[in-house]
Amino acid sequence: MTVTRVEVTPKQGEGMRDVRGDVVRRQLMADHNIKVDEVRSINGFLIKSNLEKSEITERVNDLFSDPIIEDVLTDTLFLSSTEHFPNTPDAAITIGFKPGVTDNPGSAAFDGFKTLFPHHQHQSDASISTYHTYVFFGLPEAVSVEWLSSTLHNNLIQRAVTSDAIGCLNTQWPAIAYPEKPPQTLTPPQRMDLEIPDEELLSLSESGLLALNLEEMQTIQAHYRDDAVRKSRTAVGIVSDAPTDVELECLAQTWSEHCKHKIFASKIHHIDSETGEDSIIDSIFKTHIMKPTHDMQKEVDWLLSVFHDNSGVIAWDDEWSVCMKAETHNSPSALDPYGGAMTGIVGVNRDILGTGLGARPIANTDVFCFGPPNWEGELPDNLFHPSRVFRGVHAGVRVGGNESGIPTVNGAIVFDDRYIGKPLVYCGTVGIMPRKLPDGRESHIKTPTAGDIVYMVGGRVGYDGIHGATFSSLELTEESPSSAVQIGDPITQKKMVDMVLEARDAGLISCITDNGAGGLSSSIGEMATYTDGCEIDLAKVPLKQPGLSAWEILVSESQERMTIAVKPEDCAAFDSMAQLHEVEATPVATFTNTGMFHVKYEDETVAYLSIDFLHDGVPQLQLESEWHTPTPELFTPETITLPEQAGHSPLLLRMLAQPNIASKETWVRQYDHEVIAQTVVKPFVGVERDGPGDAGVIAPIHGNPHGLVISCGIAPRYSDLDAGAMAAASIDEAVRNAVCAGINVDKMAGLDNFCWPDSIESVKTPDGKFKLAQLVRANRELERVCRAYRLPCVSGKDSMKNDYGTGEKKISIPPTLLYSVFGDQPDVRFTATSDFKNPGEKVYLVGVSKEELGASELSFMLRESGETNGIGGQVPLLPNPEMNITTYRALSTAIQSGLIQTAHDCSEGGVAVAAAEMCIGGRTGADIDIDGTGDASVWSRLWGESLGRFLVGVQPENETAFIEWMSGHPITMLGTVTDTENLTISDGYDVLIDVETTAMVEAWQKTLDMTGGVA
Amino acid sequence: MAAPKVAVLFGFGINCDHETAAVFNLVGGDAERVHVNHFVSGNRSLEDFEILAVPGGFSFGDHLGSGRLMGNRMRFALREQLHAFVAAGKPIIGICNGFQVLVKTGLLPGPAAQNTPPDFVQRASLTLNDSGRYEDRWVTLEFDSESPCIWTKGIKRIDCPVRHGEGKFVMPSTTDFDALAANNQLTVRYVDPSTPVGQGITDEPLSFPLSPNGSMRNIAGICDSTGLVFGLMPHPEAVYAKWLHPDHTRNSAPGPLTSDALGEWEGEGLQVFRNAIEYVLGNR
Repeated sequence: MTVTRVEVTPKQGEGMRDVRGDVVRRQLMADHNIKVDEVRSINGFLIKSNLEKSEITERVNDLFSDPIIEDVLTDTLFLSSTEHFPNTPDAAITIGFKPGVTDNPGSAAFDGFKTLFPHHQHQSDASISTYHTYVFFGLPEAVSVEWLSSTLHNNLIQRAVTSDAIGCLNTQWPAIAYPEKPPQTLTPPQRMDLEIPDEELLSLSESGLLALNLEEMQTIQAHYRDDAVRKSRTAVGIVSDAPTDVELECLAQTWSEHCKHKIFASKIHHIDSETGEDSIIDSIFKTHIMKPTHDMQKEVDWLLSVFHDNSGVIAWDDEWSVCMKAETHNSPSALDPYGGAMTGIVGVNRDILGTGLGARPIANTDVFCFGPPNWEGELPDNLFHPSRVFRGVHAGVRVGGNESGIPTVNGAIVFDDRYIGKPLVYCGTVGIMPRKLPDGRESHIKTPTAGDIVYMVGGRVGYDGIHGATFSSLELTEESPSSAVQIGDPITQKKMVDMVLEARDAGLISCITDNGAGGLSSSIGEMATYTDGCEIDLAKVPLKQPGLSAWEILVSESQERMTIAVKPEDCAAFDSMAQLHEVEATPVATFTNTGMFHVKYEDETVAYLSIDFLHDGVPQLQLESEWHTPTPELFTPETITLPEQAGHSPLLLRMLAQPNIASKETWVRQYDHEVIAQTVVKPFVGVERDGPGDAGVIAPIHGNPHGLVISCGIAPRYSDLDAGAMAAASIDEAVRNAVCAGINVDKMAGLDNFCWPDSIESVKTPDGKFKLAQLVRANRELERVCRAYRLPCVSGKDSMKNDYGTGEKKISIPPTLLYSVFGDQPDVRFTATSDFKNPGEKVYLVGVSKEELGASELSFMLRESGETNGIGGQVPLLPNPEMNITTYRALSTAIQSGLIQTAHDCSEGGVAVAAAEMCIGGRTGADIDIDGTGDASVWSRLWGESLGRFLVGVQPENETAFIEWMSGHPITMLGTVTDTENLTISDGYDVLIDVETTAMVEAWQKTLDMTGGVA
Repeated sequence: MAAPKVAVLFGFGINCDHETAAVFNLVGGDAERVHVNHFVSGNRSLEDFEILAVPGGFSFGDHLGSGRLMGNRMRFALREQLHAFVAAGKPIIGICNGFQVLVKTGLLPGPAAQNTPPDFVQRASLTLNDSGRYEDRWVTLEFDSESPCIWTKGIKRIDCPVRHGEGKFVMPSTTDFDALAANNQLTVRYVDPSTPVGQGITDEPLSFPLSPNGSMRNIAGICDSTGLVFGLMPHPEAVYAKWLHPDHTRNSAPGPLTSDALGEWEGEGLQVFRNAIEYVLGNR
């Protein structure tokens, strides 16, 4: 085997650009204000093969380079060619992957390589590794090459070789070598002695990254003391009185917080110091989420599958059902924003594919919480700057979604200082499936039987992704392991999706689930509960590299894998379908009804656990929670001095520029939001297609206007005052957004995704009781509002350790609930968007503004600037949700009947910001008067974020009908859309705001345009 | 008369196959999604189809340049079948990634002289947008009314989305462009929507984002010398219905849908596909 180097660089010349270099140049300007004259780029390939070098050289233009636009050199560094690089650069940096890290361009190149040499016998370890070289000209002297290199690569997964100005002068060019993987040593299964003191049990859990507490370790210890257990173990020839490492790892995965949701399942002793309540809650999940949904399931016929599958399924019409799931990928995204986020999105796509007998992913949602992108304060060790996290996460989700051909139809980006400690990366996916398969089976019901053959389909298993589930159940530290990080491979997954859906329609699948957290241990382990047993042979599992130990194969979370059960008589058809699609599908297990999770490596039994113990053996946590109302300093806006004329105008421009409000268009536009030709309401709307969209609307069946609405709500800062109010606000916002698109409020479902800081009281978390009480309050509000809205939670997830560090340096995220809504839209031809449509349109407020400025965006902005001291005060509440939903139903049906085409949710920044955004979308002016919108102060009526409100536009000819339609609901005429170039907002005779629309556009768009332009 | 059979390729990261098949069916085609490997393995024959569509997507992740690896599969593994298809005068369309594939297989723009069989020589390329960004945004397109392209007959100007990171059309020299222009093969260009219809086309580079990618001569799509093979970066199938147009909430909503057609809700993009179906029916 020899390694051949091929380098490619863009041709120079009229009209030609080195775009990759330009992007680096612009980003240095945008993020760091560093001006570089020119950056050039080189793509490199290191081809490890037993082909003759001359054979490769002859074909480089057929594969590696595009002869029209690129130059190519074989076994020579471009930098050493004065023909191509006549000027001496100031720095050159080459970045390649570390050994074993997923290299998608490399695998694609190798695939193409095999197409070029179809008859050649490629050796098993032949492969291609890729790298990039960036060459800098006119680099300011103050910029060190080490720093530059560190901003361009992540040393957890990549390596860099650099040459500084002197090196370049001396023609010492960076030459990166093929990343040879160190050989992996197979360790035979070990006996794990648990007959040790408690402290040692705990340290075993910690050092082994098992994330099990003492009681859980003791439960496992006790299990192996049971005589019946020992006897049955002896019978299969496995160590009888102690677990093997395979078993301990398997239990740790299955019992992890990530997989078992132990906090949501715990028994909580809850004390409310305000009300004197002292009570026991036996599982927040069962009490506040599951029970209400099951109650609703008795009353409607469209809730097909809730909670137990990979996503919640609802009937959409007679022929089709739809499902949705959202996940978080916070810890991996903190370590490697790009790979972590990409595996987040392609992972949740697999949850959809693994729903029922397989659903087709048709829409994605992405919601991120980051530190402020312009953060200038200190950064704790080992954490990236928020702008870098932002860029990386965005790129990962962009590549993952776009390459999978799934449109990103809805999302949000939220900023708060505390997300520096842990970014939140929520990825959601909507799926669709025919309600009945051609063979008559209902698609939402899995039909496995003992004897079915269990395949692992898709990618191979590697050392990447070991301990993801347990790692995410721990707080982030400087020593967090790099093996928990992976990069997704969307194309391998796309091929698998194509194949699986074909297999589903051919009736070949009896059971399917995703391989995510916990790997095969979790996927086969969970499916085995259907038939009550399975037998796995780990030696059959295809590996990325040889030498993985049995436990590593079982728990590795390597990506792009599904676990699929096939009847023995269907295996031949399944195999040939896999072959056609060039998807690897390997039988690795058989379903049984023995009651045992039986794992072998060839003939040796390496794990033998009863299904009952594996899934139900984990002891219930007993936790303490105690609520006391936070009392932050009050927000007192009336103390600040405003200009005399239209005094709130400067505040409006500042509010529009706040990262939480500012346009995210440059980022969102990089997502494909309309592949599949179904997206009716796009993320940005209006005459210039740059006004904010409230919800995504899709019409997934081509030629049919029957629609589906997808929306979300998130309001984490309200947790500073009351996490219960935060939860209510999030749900209400999601519903309001959906109402703006004309959702059928009687057929909508929700997803609850909780991200919380550690809420178990301990030395590390002295305020655990309070944080748990926040969780209790959030869930009680969730139940109250969802019951009132008849809004079933059909799926959800929690991520409960979102902290960084310990002690005084500890950063905990604000308790955050993302609430997603998906539901029926009867006819997409009748929907609404936020942009004002034309001068003369009448503007109405639906809902009432109250004295609720606590934790508002305005309060945070003015506290940050030092103009006021606190954010305290009344947080927006939802006292009577039963009333709200009747108003929402009236408004939504007004949209469905074509009465109005303009509606916008009123949330962050209140009426002022909502009106401004509607002017921006329509490029109009408007005359608004907030007199009569409630009894609250001017500040509250202008900037307050009271729930239950919308701004709508009504054409004059429909005004009478609209008023009649909305009779009995709180509506207030605010004013008229104008052909002037200004938004004016007054309170009776007092002009509060008078701002040009063009100024609003500029303020709103500039903050987060971090592209550096196109020059 | 039997509906024209349309092969819509899929597999390896093509992802607009469902909607591309659907739009052909909406205008009277009989479209089938066929995995590339069915043709490669000989399970199925391209000969059985009357129209070939290469849809958009990210074939092979677009690593090594958009459309390149899929282009190679077609150039090396489907060479004879494609050659015969073109020689038989059957229409081919490539949209977005499909256009990139056709350019990289050398089917577009193809040999200069008319009726020369395809030689699979790459003469042009589609490269990274000047902005350096993949973007989904709506553009305005204007069509050369003199173009021999059978796909674009009668279409003057439409709005539709572009969704690509590598859509900048380039050829080595101005004489290459002049030759295509002389034969009206520069079928469709990005134009400024504020210009009068019919007067939007210009060779002068338009500013971003009127031209979303910095394409030379604002080229959005081209055809081969016969007018049968057509490729474009924007997505006409993505505006098969008016409800997919971003302005649809800015107009009053017309009446109900008829059961067998989109009626007055037909979008501007559908005509491209109807043209090909009608061409096939007219040439049987």
